[in-house]
Amino acid sequence: MASKTTIAAAAFAGLTMMASTAGAAPTREQYRLFRALSIDLQGRIPLPDEVADFERPGFDLDGWIDTHLTGPAYAERMRRVYMDLLRLDIGTMFNFVSNPVVLRRVQVMDPSGAPVFVYFRRGQRRDRVESDGDFCLSPAETGVTVAGNGTLSGTAQPIDAAVWAQRTVEVRPWWLYSDYRTASPTLRIGATDQSTMALSPVPGLLTEADGHTPTVTVRVCREEAQTPEQAPMYLSGRIAALPTTVPYPGGRVTAPPTDSAYSRAHPTDMVSCTSGTGVSFAAGCGCGVGLERCMPGTSTTNDPAAFSLPNFVPLGADTPLDNAQQSQGDWTRFWWVQEAVHFLDDLFANDRDVRTMLSDRSTQVNGPLAQFYRSFAGSTCCGGGTQFNYVAPDPLFDPANVPADLTPHQVTTWRRIADRGPHASGILTMPIFLQKYGTRRARAHVLYGAFMCRQFVAENVALTPSTEPNLMVRPGCQACHATLEPMAAYFSRVSESSWTFLPSASFPTFNPACVSTRPNVAPNGGCGTYYDPAFSAGGNGMLRGAYGSPQHADEGPAGIAQVITADPNFAGCVAQNVGEAFLGRTFTADDQALRDTLSTALSSNGFRMRALVRALLRADAYRRANNLDPAAASQGANP
Amino acid sequence: MTNTARTLVVSALVALGCNGTPAARTPAPDAQAPVSRPATDITPTPVTAIPGHESLAQDTAPKEAPRLMPAETLIRSYLTLFGGLSPIAFQTRMRTTTTGEALFDTWADYLSALGIPDYTADIPRAAQTNTLQLAAYERIAVALCERAVQNDLRGAAASAQVLFTFDLPAGRSLTDAEFATRFDVLHRRALGYPAALAPDTRVPRFLALYRSAETAHADAGVGSQRRFTGPEAGWAGVCEGLLRHPEFHLY
Repeated sequence: MASKTTIAAAAFAGLTMMASTAGAAPTREQYRLFRALSIDLQGRIPLPDEVADFERPGFDLDGWIDTHLTGPAYAERMRRVYMDLLRLDIGTMFNFVSNPVVLRRVQVMDPSGAPVFVYFRRGQRRDRVESDGDFCLSPAETGVTVAGNGTLSGTAQPIDAAVWAQRTVEVRPWWLYSDYRTASPTLRIGATDQSTMALSPVPGLLTEADGHTPTVTVRVCREEAQTPEQAPMYLSGRIAALPTTVPYPGGRVTAPPTDSAYSRAHPTDMVSCTSGTGVSFAAGCGCGVGLERCMPGTSTTNDPAAFSLPNFVPLGADTPLDNAQQSQGDWTRFWWVQEAVHFLDDLFANDRDVRTMLSDRSTQVNGPLAQFYRSFAGSTCCGGGTQFNYVAPDPLFDPANVPADLTPHQVTTWRRIADRGPHASGILTMPIFLQKYGTRRARAHVLYGAFMCRQFVAENVALTPSTEPNLMVRPGCQACHATLEPMAAYFSRVSESSWTFLPSASFPTFNPACVSTRPNVAPNGGCGTYYDPAFSAGGNGMLRGAYGSPQHADEGPAGIAQVITADPNFAGCVAQNVGEAFLGRTFTADDQALRDTLSTALSSNGFRMRALVRALLRADAYRRANNLDPAAASQGANP
Repeated sequence: MTNTARTLVVSALVALGCNGTPAARTPAPDAQAPVSRPATDITPTPVTAIPGHESLAQDTAPKEAPRLMPAETLIRSYLTLFGGLSPIAFQTRMRTTTTGEALFDTWADYLSALGIPDYTADIPRAAQTNTLQLAAYERIAVALCERAVQNDLRGAAASAQVLFTFDLPAGRSLTDAEFATRFDVLHRRALGYPAALAPDTRVPRFLALYRSAETAHADAGVGSQRRFTGPEAGWAGVCEGLLRHPEFHLY
């Protein structure tokens, strides 16, 4: 009796033999295989010329596969595997609205009585109480009141010419001129073809308040037009909040800001104008050359319209399916996703070690991302961190490593950045990952599933009331959290729903200044943000999230990348994810041999994905599977 | 269930002497008590040990139903079928008309139905077909094929033809052989292999489809508002049949 292996080998011989090598016409199964390979490696069905090539005697299918394991379509195919697992996009429910970045605009009357837009940013420090932290022209001067939520009221009146000249200036901004960094910008952005990706301001940004005159300059509050990188601390002299008697000076309806304890303690310090602290503390910080440190908006609303961009790019950002006017936050969010897309494409196209997906300090940026990392990312820092003397961000992506020559208009120019900085770690420190998975636990959880192929499944226990804050020991919780909490601790130094890094120099894991003197009550508001009163012990407060493993907290995202990629199951999990994606089905116990083969192909080739995929495409599982005839299936046949 | 697993089940049933007659059930004295059986009750037995199975050939290759083409691949394939236009240009071309019929909506209207994952809402990629998806296939096939007929079969130069890369004889109907030759062009384009390798019923069934559409439109008579001639309607129908064929979407 022939062995099963022998029989199977004989049965498959006709298929696995390359098409037409013996001069015979390809069989239907060979055509089917070629079409499948085209779908997987070219991202489309084969073209007539390609089928004709395939039919020629001597066609080298193995060579064809190798050739197509290097193309962009292959990279896209592989990227889809991981994008499907990680789902790295966030919807419009999430708005990136950082007030130090957003230039909103108010329609007022200039001294001649003509309607004019004036751009400003909320929270901008100014040297007079009538407009400090608010719109630079007071209601008494404009007749228009800007509420804290952006609501406008009142009737516009012509502004005094001296006030107009003193408080506002004209600028040729980056969203209108591609040469905005020059002394006299002239290259105004024109209409763009919507079928391609380009910087495309919404119509409202391209016309004046009269609705038809093309905008060639924008009028902006004088403070916002400043360009220094650093500015001195500004002290208004207001220590306590003014009495809540509305209106405040100049008719303003928002309370003027007071001088913080930090600014009073550091009156001679210089602060960075690319940090949120700079906008909060320095009247000398503006939006930079051509306003490049700010995003424009067409109104005073929370997230005003700014640019046209696609909603749907399943074929890539350079092949959009639509185009629509979107908010300034949408613009930034769109490019966060594209950073992950291009990072993964680069990884697979260049067959880099797949482990670097989690650990590499490199990334890919284009013009908008360069602008974000250079000018916007620091704007979320440092809030209450000033209590801990944290006023300038210790960034996940060091702005010094961003190419200085990339301008926001270069949306299709992508560059590989070899080193983002010491805290960077693959996708784990990209804004899209940190925002998609806003909490420490969510971040750990998705990695556990996508890269370790494991799921948290609670044991069958009855939950009992408990006040135990430690979920690693609380009955009913411990089954999952004993594993999850130590993994989540790796993200303790990356703020939740943010990319602000919390360095140990400012935020020690154990902080005696933040010890809780009463159970579950933080000693003060600032400590409560960063330190968990439930885990105060030994005269120290515990950094939030670190209780699962203080050591992991200090190792940071790079630590969990190291643990996951060193796990013996890592290669097998990669093999399973890729195999399931290509075969379109879930692996079962019957696939263990295939999983092992693919895992070995990966790990024995320096964790290069191409070796794994090559092994998969040449495996019988790929060539013979999924071949149940549709007609047979329609008649009730089972696989 | 894979063949391997099925084989084990069959083997076990045979080994147990299953003859199709259910044994009388004996009520358990305690329904909550775990049921235990002597280990000797079920003895793993190779199928080859079963009388009559000693030389039975087994195909142990795992077999699964065809998988669904990724929606991105499907869209890109549609685009290449219509000459490689950009998605927005394709959409414009499908919608623009001088005669009033808009054959297409927008890509955004079809994406969900086609199975594109929505990462923003954590909606996964569609792994199986559904009725909405089939309706979307139908709609896109109609749009693409009818536009292609209008583009290709009304005197376009060969270099301008995108899908129907053949001509039609003027003033007469195609013979069956002439149909088969042209059908093979479309069959190869859509399904990637010669029609001659398809199941035997493939060509006759599509020929019947072609003839019925051709006849129906030819019978429309003078003054008909129909926009297609008989042959045009026939080829549009054939094209639509191929682009919504399971072999087109599955692989």
